[in-house]
Amino acid sequence: MEIYLPIAQMSVHWLIVLGLGFGVGFLSGVFGIGGGFLLTPVLIFYGIPPGVAVATTASQIAGVTFSGVLTHWKRGTVDFKMGLVMVIAGLVGSAAGVWIFAVLRRMGQVEFGVQASYVILLGSVGAMMLNESIRTWRARKEGRPSHGRSSGQHHWIHGLPLKMRFRQSRLYISAIPPVVLGFIVGVLSAVLGVGGAFLMVPAMIYMLRMPTNVVVGTSMFQVLFVSASTTILHAVDNFTVDVVLGMILILGGVFGVQFGVRWGAKLRGEELRFLMALLVLAVGIGMALQFVLRPEDVYSLSGLS
Amino acid sequence: MRTLALACLLFFAPAFAEQGLTSMLSQDYLQIYSNFQGSEITVFGALENSSDVGPDSLKGQIVVVVRGPDALQTVRKKERVAGIWINRARAKMWLPSYYFVASTAPLANIASGETLRRYELGLNNLQAEVVASDGSARPYQAALVRAQQKSGLYRENPAGVEQQSTAFRVHVPVPASVPRGSYTVEVYLFRDGNVIAAQSTPFYVDQAGFERRLFEFAHQKPLYYGVATVLMGILLGWGSTFFFKRS
Repeated sequence: MEIYLPIAQMSVHWLIVLGLGFGVGFLSGVFGIGGGFLLTPVLIFYGIPPGVAVATTASQIAGVTFSGVLTHWKRGTVDFKMGLVMVIAGLVGSAAGVWIFAVLRRMGQVEFGVQASYVILLGSVGAMMLNESIRTWRARKEGRPSHGRSSGQHHWIHGLPLKMRFRQSRLYISAIPPVVLGFIVGVLSAVLGVGGAFLMVPAMIYMLRMPTNVVVGTSMFQVLFVSASTTILHAVDNFTVDVVLGMILILGGVFGVQFGVRWGAKLRGEELRFLMALLVLAVGIGMALQFVLRPEDVYSLSGLS
Repeated sequence: MRTLALACLLFFAPAFAEQGLTSMLSQDYLQIYSNFQGSEITVFGALENSSDVGPDSLKGQIVVVVRGPDALQTVRKKERVAGIWINRARAKMWLPSYYFVASTAPLANIASGETLRRYELGLNNLQAEVVASDGSARPYQAALVRAQQKSGLYRENPAGVEQQSTAFRVHVPVPASVPRGSYTVEVYLFRDGNVIAAQSTPFYVDQAGFERRLFEFAHQKPLYYGVATVLMGILLGWGSTFFFKRS
């Protein structure tokens, strides 16, 4: 069963696309991650032009994140003030990212820019996760406590100016780190079509020292707004948002997440993280190989120019 | 160049009056709907007998060319920089976004290379102004032809004209990725290496219905389109969570 994508101007098997959405949703349910960083490369592997893949994944993230934000809102686990600061920085970042994207497109380097960023990001995040999960596993085997992190860390963040009070997080810190973090995540969202939670959540816990219970809700709040704005900006600047593709991915995604969450509950945390690290590394290595191996044809026709 | 040649040919058409050629298409408007998986149009035609020349007038070879709208296309060349393959040089050229040629015999047996080039018959005879950033234009054009052949947009079928006495028929494949725009179908009758009759018929390819409205919406009101996409996504994502609450 094929369906014609009006913006990508190509036909795809809608069941395959639904399956991709489901699969990535399933993994994000299992591992508790957004999944954007898997969805974009998978769509590119499938043959969707990188520009359309990035912009459309952003719309999928917005669609899938909303209900999560609602749930956290009801539980009172969203720090709206922190979220707002990061959203504003994130919006500026996503505008900058969409601009960078348009420049890359004019230079004919979108493919390279997107794939190179993925290789760096997935490579480093994957390596970090693998390292961490192996360390935890070893520690458990030797009967040591798994988190060797001391609480007496150097708080350079507390020396920064522009301090703000975040009541929900019970923090009194400078606004600069959340702004920088929000900005970076915004740029990543626009250039890579990722939500950025896999970067933001650890940063909020270890850098900003936010209480764990508000981290996920607040990060989702930021991701929702930033991916929505990324979608809109890509639609305006690059005409690369394919609504038909986006809707199929959302449908597959929400169902996948539900099944993934149930299935993931059966696995142990460190097994999860180990598998996750392997998955992230595999996607990164797959993309890296495309750079290193001699292409089948050194000439290529740029689509959607 | 080709258009000019064709215009002259059609202008002087009365000169070929003793050898007639008629052709028509199975449809002159191809609409792309959401279930579009590619299609096919058929060109029908007949050679018209002229009594004063006799049965000899029905001899000749037929070439049918279908061209899509010309588009400025960019071909990029990857080079190895520090171990990594990266796009460096590029060339831009105006070439048809779709090209199909069918004939009763291999083109080389029908006319001289010069004639084929003049009418742009055959994938190697497409004339384009190529602006290459590294000087050599030829490999870029060849690469474009290769890429378009791979995606089914360029095709050459030297046995594609089915002929039965005076009637002929050509099936023109239309792949799913067919670009929108106005197309021309040109039918040439060759004898002894010369064009002795020609006819040109237009047809149109466009997205239809829902797809067309979406495409226009996305390009004419991109801000509203972006906002609508996000809202629809949110509604869909939110709505489907109720499905799980019940089950």
